[in-house]
Amino acid sequence: MFYRENGQFKTSYQADQQIFPIAQDRWAILAIIAFAAIGVPFLVDEYLFRAILIPFLILSLAALGVNILVGYCGQISLGSGAFMAVGAYMAYNTYIRIDGMPLILALLSGGFFATLVGIFFGIPSLRVKGLYLAVATLAAQFFCDWAFLRISWFTNNNASGSVSVSNLNVLGWTIDTPLQKYWFCLGFLVVFGLLAKNLVRSAIGREWMAIRDMDVAAAVIGIRPMYAKLSAFAVSSFIVGVAGALWGFVHLGSWEPAAFSIDRSFQLLFMVIIGGMGSIMGSFFGAAFIVVLPIFLNQFLPALGGMFGVEISTAAVSHTEYMIFGALIVWFLIVEPHGLAKLWSIGKQKLRLWPFPH
Amino acid sequence: MSKVIGDVILDVQNISLRFGGVKALTDISFNVKEHEIRSIIGPNGAGKSSMLNCINGVYTPSEGSITFRGQQFDHMNSRQVAEMGIARTFQNLALFKGMSVIDNIMSGRNLKIKSNIFMQALRLGPAQREEEAHREKVEHIIDFLEIQAFRKTPVGQLPYGLQKRVDLGRALAMEPQVLLLDEPMAGMNLEEKQDMSRFILDVNDEFGTTIVLIEHDMGVVMDISDRVVVLDYGKKIGDGSPDEVRNNEDVIRAYLGTSH
Amino acid sequence: MAFFLETLFGGLMAGMLYSLVALGFVLIYKASGVFNFAQGAMVLVAALCMARMAEWIPLWTGIDNKVTANILAFAVSVAFMFLLAWVIERLVLRHLVNQEGVTLLMATLGITYFIDGFGQTLFGSDIYKIDVGMPKDPIFVLDGLFEGGVLVNQEDVIAAVIAAVLVACLSLFFQKTGTGRALRAVADDHQAAQSIGIPLNRIWVIVWCVAGITALVAGIIWGSKLGVQFSLTTVALRALPVIILGGLTSVPGAIIGGLIIGVGEKLSEVYLGPLVGGGIEIWFAYVLALVFLLFRPQGLFGEKIIDRV
Repeated sequence: MFYRENGQFKTSYQADQQIFPIAQDRWAILAIIAFAAIGVPFLVDEYLFRAILIPFLILSLAALGVNILVGYCGQISLGSGAFMAVGAYMAYNTYIRIDGMPLILALLSGGFFATLVGIFFGIPSLRVKGLYLAVATLAAQFFCDWAFLRISWFTNNNASGSVSVSNLNVLGWTIDTPLQKYWFCLGFLVVFGLLAKNLVRSAIGREWMAIRDMDVAAAVIGIRPMYAKLSAFAVSSFIVGVAGALWGFVHLGSWEPAAFSIDRSFQLLFMVIIGGMGSIMGSFFGAAFIVVLPIFLNQFLPALGGMFGVEISTAAVSHTEYMIFGALIVWFLIVEPHGLAKLWSIGKQKLRLWPFPH
Repeated sequence: MSKVIGDVILDVQNISLRFGGVKALTDISFNVKEHEIRSIIGPNGAGKSSMLNCINGVYTPSEGSITFRGQQFDHMNSRQVAEMGIARTFQNLALFKGMSVIDNIMSGRNLKIKSNIFMQALRLGPAQREEEAHREKVEHIIDFLEIQAFRKTPVGQLPYGLQKRVDLGRALAMEPQVLLLDEPMAGMNLEEKQDMSRFILDVNDEFGTTIVLIEHDMGVVMDISDRVVVLDYGKKIGDGSPDEVRNNEDVIRAYLGTSH
Repeated sequence: MAFFLETLFGGLMAGMLYSLVALGFVLIYKASGVFNFAQGAMVLVAALCMARMAEWIPLWTGIDNKVTANILAFAVSVAFMFLLAWVIERLVLRHLVNQEGVTLLMATLGITYFIDGFGQTLFGSDIYKIDVGMPKDPIFVLDGLFEGGVLVNQEDVIAAVIAAVLVACLSLFFQKTGTGRALRAVADDHQAAQSIGIPLNRIWVIVWCVAGITALVAGIIWGSKLGVQFSLTTVALRALPVIILGGLTSVPGAIIGGLIIGVGEKLSEVYLGPLVGGGIEIWFAYVLALVFLLFRPQGLFGEKIIDRV
């Protein structure tokens, strides 16, 4: 009875086309953002910021990027870790090598270079798809793994490939405490989320989805497959690159190529599958799930084992994590390919009818 | 009011199409006049869809050429054909199953959308206005095809007859000069066929769109066509008005059948 | 020159190992159109099973004879792989029959992760040894032609022979037996095969079992040479470029592709590596595959990929 569209008539196309056409949704989103910005800081301690919230925000951003490519445009990518790495290392280089480079600009430049790399490794998508494309993206992943380790220019001639940044600030405001880092990342996520949502509901978003659903038919109605696919790679890599730069600068502080290895690529792909392919909300759900699950298991499993007198090692917890991820991927693909986001929207449908059964 | 049929707008000359050893089309020539409804008929496997695929750029003919509005093309690419103003529906429905009806039809407007990716991302004034203007056009088409109630439904969930209408709507959204319809009434019952015939006639009447139609239902074909081409085993065996074709011996033998 | 030949042989042998893994991929793809990303995980879990069984069976049954223990371990491992194949078909594949390739690919990715965790939970996560009596000493050959001879690993040669035998058996199976024919029919068109009465589900179980055995053989050879440890990157992912090169549907392609990749990796590492800082093995195979994807996606021996409207 609370969640009804009664009386909400749209008298203009603009009203019908807005991101949240139902008024209750609009209020809810504003409330969530306000709560995230103002309420959360009062409730959480430093550990939660560092361990959960900041990784969640940054990985949501990365998942958003991956979702645009994989979920909206249907181009499989197992190389997202590499694009994050390009973002991080190139942001580092512009930050270090150009005097007085503002932080935000450095981060965005990381995204820009990631875009270039993304477009380059997206070229195979014009010829092949599916598994073949996955192999091409893996080539990106392994090549970047090597490049950032062995080409010393990227790491300012540091032998182990690790770099670090410090003294981050934006126009004089330092970004040092977890709270400041949290707000910084939140800001990025909200802005990029809005831009991404605008893109997917515009003509370019429809082009991406057309390519995903039937690329041969897409050409027949006048869509340029090359432009659509490469633009998906470009936009996706940009977002993933910025996320990578944030990951390195804000979350890690210092990093090496292993932070962006193939495990990261799989992790992002899993976020998109579990959260919901082709859904902006889904990216957030997926990221939340994948960030929280290991921590949850780390606390829960030993406690469970303790109840039965069985000792559960950290290795065992890690194996269980893998099993649960694997099983969930399969489960979602079979039962609900549109992931948590679809389950959420089914829930909302039921809420619209509540308290009536139908 | 009777319609005025114009000059030749599409001219197919000596088209042959080979797949390996199989000859799908052999030396086909016919033309299509502006504003007319031209049907292509023939038994299954005669090469009708292949012919449309050649006009449309999906297949490249092995020999021959196609002239549209005086410009001759040997190899047409689907996208160029779409830009030139030729739209098409598919026998097996090539709809974008994951998108809603509105989005499917809106995708047909893509050729006409001018704003670039940055403007779309920011949804600034011009981008927003353009989106609304195209939405308005799409709503006209939705009204015309009487599918208002299903606007937001993902097309994968619609019954077959409605999906066919969305397919037509998407082609109409391109504001084409020539509309290629590949068995638009396949699998429909009598009522649905009447509706679809009415839509086709209305499109031809209101917008002056030239229609090239593949159809098996002889009643429909003879009723609404201005001229008919008959194909059999990849060869042309008849060409003319419905009456001429109906009385053509070769056509009767190959396709229509004689009554004893 | 001798050094070059050694590097070449080394590459050929490494390539042979890749081919064995790639073989499993090709088999499943040929028969079901499913690209089984989990093949690498299957190789490793098969090897783990073999290694641990060889350890445990003497403990459980008191059998001292190494050969008997190994044979029993092999039998148990075969049974285990069959069970795994059956479970995967039942729980996963059956439900994804009509989905497109990408969905199936991602499902096998999920299966990979699951097998990874499950295998280690079951068998442990240390490094284990497999000892099936392969001769470990290297020998010197061709010492008539070259001073001192060329160093060749006996183990590698035997592995190559085993692989060749396996391939021959599989080719015979596919070409000459009724089941093999049925498998090829299913690979071509599921629905058509079903409509002439071929039991799809049973065929798929058979295929995965065959792939499982291939995985076991590959796992034993790998494990004997390198020790058994879980490292997803090394095994499965190395085999992917092999299939791109050889062609997804070609058994000889998997072999030749593997050899090319193996030799290419070793030679490029030795001769090109020092010029660019070394370590190019990790991407050489992939970049080679990338080049093939751009110019000849079906690989050397695969069928042309046709997109139907």
